Amino acid sequence: MGMSSGGGGHGRTTLSEINVTPMVDVMLVLLIIFMVTAPLIQQGVKVNLPETKAAPVEANDKKIVITVDVKKRVFIGETEVPLGELEEKLKTNAKAQADKEVYLHADRDLAYGIVVEVMASAQRAGITNVGMITDPVGAGRSQKEKDKR
Amino acid sequence: MIASTAILLLTLGQAPIIEISGANFRPLPIALPAPLTQDDGSKKLAAEFDDALKFDLAACGLFQLLDRKSYLADAKEGVTASSINFSNWSNVGADALVKAQLSIDGEMVRGDLRLFTVAAGKEELKASESSSKQDVRKLAHKLANALYKFYTRETGPFETKIAWARKTPAGKDVWLSDWDGRSGVGIGIGGINTLPTIGPDGSVAFTSFRSGKPDLFVSKNAAAPKVLVASGRMATGVAFSPDGRRVAYSLADGESAQIFVAAADGSSPRQLTNTPFFINTSPSWSPDGKRLAFVSNRGGTPQVYVMSSEGGEAKRLTFQGNYNQTPDWSPRGDLIAFTARDERNAFDLFTIAVDSGKVTRLTQDQGNNEEPSFSPNGRLILFTSTRNGGVPRLFVMTFDGNNQVELPAEKGSYSTPDWGP
Repeated sequence: MGMSSGGGGHGRTTLSEINVTPMVDVMLVLLIIFMVTAPLIQQGVKVNLPETKAAPVEANDKKIVITVDVKKRVFIGETEVPLGELEEKLKTNAKAQADKEVYLHADRDLAYGIVVEVMASAQRAGITNVGMITDPVGAGRSQKEKDKR
Repeated sequence: MIASTAILLLTLGQAPIIEISGANFRPLPIALPAPLTQDDGSKKLAAEFDDALKFDLAACGLFQLLDRKSYLADAKEGVTASSINFSNWSNVGADALVKAQLSIDGEMVRGDLRLFTVAAGKEELKASESSSKQDVRKLAHKLANALYKFYTRETGPFETKIAWARKTPAGKDVWLSDWDGRSGVGIGIGGINTLPTIGPDGSVAFTSFRSGKPDLFVSKNAAAPKVLVASGRMATGVAFSPDGRRVAYSLADGESAQIFVAAADGSSPRQLTNTPFFINTSPSWSPDGKRLAFVSNRGGTPQVYVMSSEGGEAKRLTFQGNYNQTPDWSPRGDLIAFTARDERNAFDLFTIAVDSGKVTRLTQDQGNNEEPSFSPNGRLILFTSTRNGGVPRLFVMTFDGNNQVELPAEKGSYSTPDWGP
């Protein structure tokens, strides 16, 4: 596929890009990812959710919700946690370790990289299931409705 | 209408009672942030208080203390329900939240402890106690007892005392300490002292070799020990009756040892067992004082027997294994804990139901575990174990073998612990 061609026969040229394929592979193998609908999840932190057509899973509002807002700030519930501390916070968290499942509530305009970093932290902390909270297409509610209130 | 209101109030006022026994028991996940203090000058005091309270809640077997590293709330979060963001506590898995606050006034410390249910966001209990600065651990134990009582309706073990022997290069001494092994006071120091037992009034009786052969001594209020029994024979293993009016012990000469019962001051001794050539030792009283459990090798191997404390026939209680010793009768009456050597020559702890004879194993594959002693409420067992580093240290566990926790230890090897009031 030549994602990182690395210069073929030209000897030593610097790799100018990080090959993310293996990392994404590992993550997809170890993490079970599913979609969760937004309406059931009420969160204090404002986020524009992506819309999807994938059949969503019924959300369970007892699970831990990790939010990443548009400014790339990370929250567990409503409390901001530096990204560097997320792994330890989840590793020591009795509820996360019992459930092995968290919901990810990330803004649709975020760069893919930060979302992957959050997921990788969760995975290193022993979380095996990540629910991606989305808006079902057509419902088009989350932010607009919240704005109305 | 009045009647129905009364019933409603009764139900509302009922706290959840934690039933400690049974297969369905799960420790309650509880969050205990560090205590709040008014200024930084009291940090050392607060750390001492925190250490005692944390140990009490973690070691009593009722609670699963959640890792503070996972906490999301600000360390300075307030202590009233309105100032607490309970979602931060439910997100770390806490069912209950305990907040403590210390305020210092001259030489006195006041501790306030509040208990909240996280799901309801409601204050369930507020307890306040005061103590001098030196007794800040005692203050923590008192507040922990209030919490224990709230959940179990029983008196907690946190203000009780334990006695134990510790062997160092200088000798073997008998100590009396708080239940967590701290604040120890030397009772029998110098020479060889062992097998302490605590009476209902707090007296400590023990076996001492200070005269060259074992005699029994007793110390009241940690005063200098006085002779209790010093016959021409070897006296060991004294045990106070639950009402404190009698003592049981064994007297040995030559190849045999017999159980005796005497008044609490050692007067008018009466021989209970009479099996020449056999050993009868380690008496332990039933909670009603009517029976004694003890060890005898009259059947060929050391086994636990039970007999009336007035004398008469002894009934063999243990039939499994060929080496059962150090019985301790639960203050609840139903169980006797004992040490057994199993087929791999390891010592482990078991309980046997006095009525049905049902044996339950409490320890396994963790070094040698010996010398059980029940807490006064019968919910916990103190024992020695060599699991950490091969030297016997003190441990506590629940009466069914859960939540085995080591007590803080100093150098030396610990033995023959006894749990008293």
